[in-house]
Amino acid sequence: MKKELRFGFALMAIILTAVVLFMPWGHMTNGHLGLLMLALIVVAIMLGFPTAFTLMGMGVIFTWIAYRSVNPDLAVEQTLDLMVQRAYGVMSNDVLISIPLFVFMGYLVERSNLIKALFHSIHLAMARIPGSLAVATLITCAIFATATGIVGAVVTLMGLLAFPAMLRAGYDIKLSAGTITAGGCLGILIPPSVLLIVYGATAGVSVVQLYAGAFFPGIMLAGLYVAYVIIMAKLKPQLAPPLPMEERVIPLADWVKNVSETISNKSLPGLLGALKGKRNAGVSSGKIVRQLIIALLPAIVWFGAMGLTYRVVTAPPEVVDTQGLQEMGAADEGAPAMESQDSGGVQEPQAEGVQEPPADGVQEPPAEGAREPAGAAPAAKPAAPAAQAAPAPAAQAQPVPTWFWLTFGIGTGALALFYALFTFARLEVFKMLLSSFFPLAMLIVAVLGSIVFGLATPTEAAAVGALGGFLLAAAYKQLNFGVVRDSVFLTAKTSAMVCWLFVGSSIFSAAFALLGGQEVIETWVLSLNMTPTQFMLLSQFIIFILGWPLEWTEIIVIFMPIFIPLLAHFNIDPLFFGLLVALNLQTAFLSPPVAMAAFYLKGVSPPHVTLNQIFAGMMPFMAIQVLAMALLYMWPEIGLWLPHTLYK
Amino acid sequence: MKKLLFTIDKVSTFVGRMFGWTIVGLTLLISWEVFSRYVLNTPHAWVLDAQIMLYGVLFMMAGAYTLAHGGHVRGDVLYGFFEPRTQAALDLLLYIVFFLPGIFALTYAGWGYAGDSFAIRENTFSPEPLPLYPFKYVIPVAGFFLLLQGLVEIARCVICLRDGEWPSRVEDVEEVDVDKLKKMVDVKDEDIARLDEYVVKQEAKQ
Repeated sequence: MKKELRFGFALMAIILTAVVLFMPWGHMTNGHLGLLMLALIVVAIMLGFPTAFTLMGMGVIFTWIAYRSVNPDLAVEQTLDLMVQRAYGVMSNDVLISIPLFVFMGYLVERSNLIKALFHSIHLAMARIPGSLAVATLITCAIFATATGIVGAVVTLMGLLAFPAMLRAGYDIKLSAGTITAGGCLGILIPPSVLLIVYGATAGVSVVQLYAGAFFPGIMLAGLYVAYVIIMAKLKPQLAPPLPMEERVIPLADWVKNVSETISNKSLPGLLGALKGKRNAGVSSGKIVRQLIIALLPAIVWFGAMGLTYRVVTAPPEVVDTQGLQEMGAADEGAPAMESQDSGGVQEPQAEGVQEPPADGVQEPPAEGAREPAGAAPAAKPAAPAAQAAPAPAAQAQPVPTWFWLTFGIGTGALALFYALFTFARLEVFKMLLSSFFPLAMLIVAVLGSIVFGLATPTEAAAVGALGGFLLAAAYKQLNFGVVRDSVFLTAKTSAMVCWLFVGSSIFSAAFALLGGQEVIETWVLSLNMTPTQFMLLSQFIIFILGWPLEWTEIIVIFMPIFIPLLAHFNIDPLFFGLLVALNLQTAFLSPPVAMAAFYLKGVSPPHVTLNQIFAGMMPFMAIQVLAMALLYMWPEIGLWLPHTLYK
Repeated sequence: MKKLLFTIDKVSTFVGRMFGWTIVGLTLLISWEVFSRYVLNTPHAWVLDAQIMLYGVLFMMAGAYTLAHGGHVRGDVLYGFFEPRTQAALDLLLYIVFFLPGIFALTYAGWGYAGDSFAIRENTFSPEPLPLYPFKYVIPVAGFFLLLQGLVEIARCVICLRDGEWPSRVEDVEEVDVDKLKKMVDVKDEDIARLDEYVVKQEAKQ
């Protein structure tokens, strides 16, 4: 018998033996029946029948048993009613609706074919870092996986792009394989991820808060991966040898070479010099100006952003509109909150500003102050009658707070340093990043930002994100009927897969609740007298173990309804629990024998790379995942700070 | 026989794909509503109901399509390692024990549920109401197509038990279509094969 079969059968045998041994066969109550159902569902799922229908079928049978024990005459009718209501509940669920939209966005982004340029440009930007190829792989994975959320496609694509590059550069097979598989799974955790929506819908936790909460843990996990790779490359250079110099050279156009040799190899003075015609660079000035504008982009963005912040923080305080809030007011209030985030979490710039010595206000140009009230007045006017307009003239420009100048100074200094190091080669890399990295990053930031800062609901952001996917595909000249058609069909299948699972599990958990299985579990768990810590460790351990035979969808929709009601007894925040679960389920992708990621990579690797090598490569990354969970558990603020700051 | 199976496959596929296009409508509808609400300042109450309906129709009607292409998630600890005959025997048993009663009950109950809604010409609860009963009819209709496709799958199990191998399915787009992805990033099989020397070299060193 095959090794894998033995493993599965052993697991099944353990469950069945436990059932046979511990069931009080003589005096079965309905609650025990519920537990029996739970044990049977694990066994049934392992048999490999489509899980949605396993859940549905078992749910119907046990619902009928539960109702029959109360009133045999009504049992069939009640069962049917419950079923259809549960199904309709999933159909009209306003949380799950963002799943098809995010999935659709993912397929469109995947097919816009920017991963090659993305990987290449990030790799060049990272060339000096030890283990640069592996680091670039991780960052590419993190960004691309975040936008698409399709583990299989990301691992396959990176297996085609990064794996050959790493092997050719002499990287260790295990390290390379681990980097790709672990990186490809990051999209499950970093929002906007479907896993968090599924958890939110199951546990009744706000998806917005989950997204805000998962942001930093996701970044932390990616950061830990990167740190691990860099440390390994430093300690054992034979695992990840640095790139030879000749592969780091970035080809420059002839005139650029000319300028950098004759005038300056720094892009800014070089281009300015060439423009003045100090020395004949032999190109039209239009070409130079275009390069110059690109080179100046970081400065333009920085000063533009600071100018905008300046406008916002010095704007007169809002005239409170007593006629009821309208969109205008809400949007205006959102903006300063966002800006304050940029400047290191200083809250409420307006309140801060009042405490400032008035001396700062002198620096304020009068023109600015004069313009502001004029801009603010129309917003207040239509709703506020004459009597309420009284405070309007009193509204004056706020003095500029110190933190603004502090941020401004530090930022400008960093910018100056950036330009001092900004050679022509780096300009070339910057241009590549501009066409691959920034559009995608902006799409993610826009979608995520509008959700987290409460400007749009997840559904709205997902729809606009999908539209952004269209634009991205169009921008990369990949938008054609075939791409859209494939994305539509795949979206239909993936949504049906996830949502039918919800229909099944919703009927199943109704049966479980009817039988009173939940109460039996609750009394049992409470009788163990566990501390919250022990309970947390136990539940996470169970989820970790379940991650071996089951997939994350099944774990969340079947087992979360059992764990969530218990959390209240132990004073555990379901939001925090969800973040730990999301981190935990990362391991489900990397743990054999169902480690999907490994099989996808195996499918595109050279024949001599064995599955065992890939598994071995994934192990250190699994350890990092456990470490990340421990860190999050010890410092919950990593995850909870952002949601608590934003939604008090 | 095979022809009949393929025909039903194709019907399920066609229906699922047709309703799959609602995702484009959903994207455009919500994007337009976002623009209308935040820029033009004219929100529409009915859009909220319409978007829920589009989503519900999308996934319900794609159920049979997904089943026809083996897209519903399976617990894959053991299943993938079984012989085809074992797989078919297990599937056949569970289609009869779980699938048929579950989906039949859903279809039957859905028919009554939608009928009740139709009898009172139920509308959505909103200042700008939309008729709700067509949406409820989606449950029995989707259930019917699933049932039909389920019968086809049962026939497949029987064929597999007889022949010892799974009968073929209609072609469809795959989530991870390795050949397509290879083409997308310009990697050829020879390139991968050529990489083997690096692997062998590294293994020789250890």
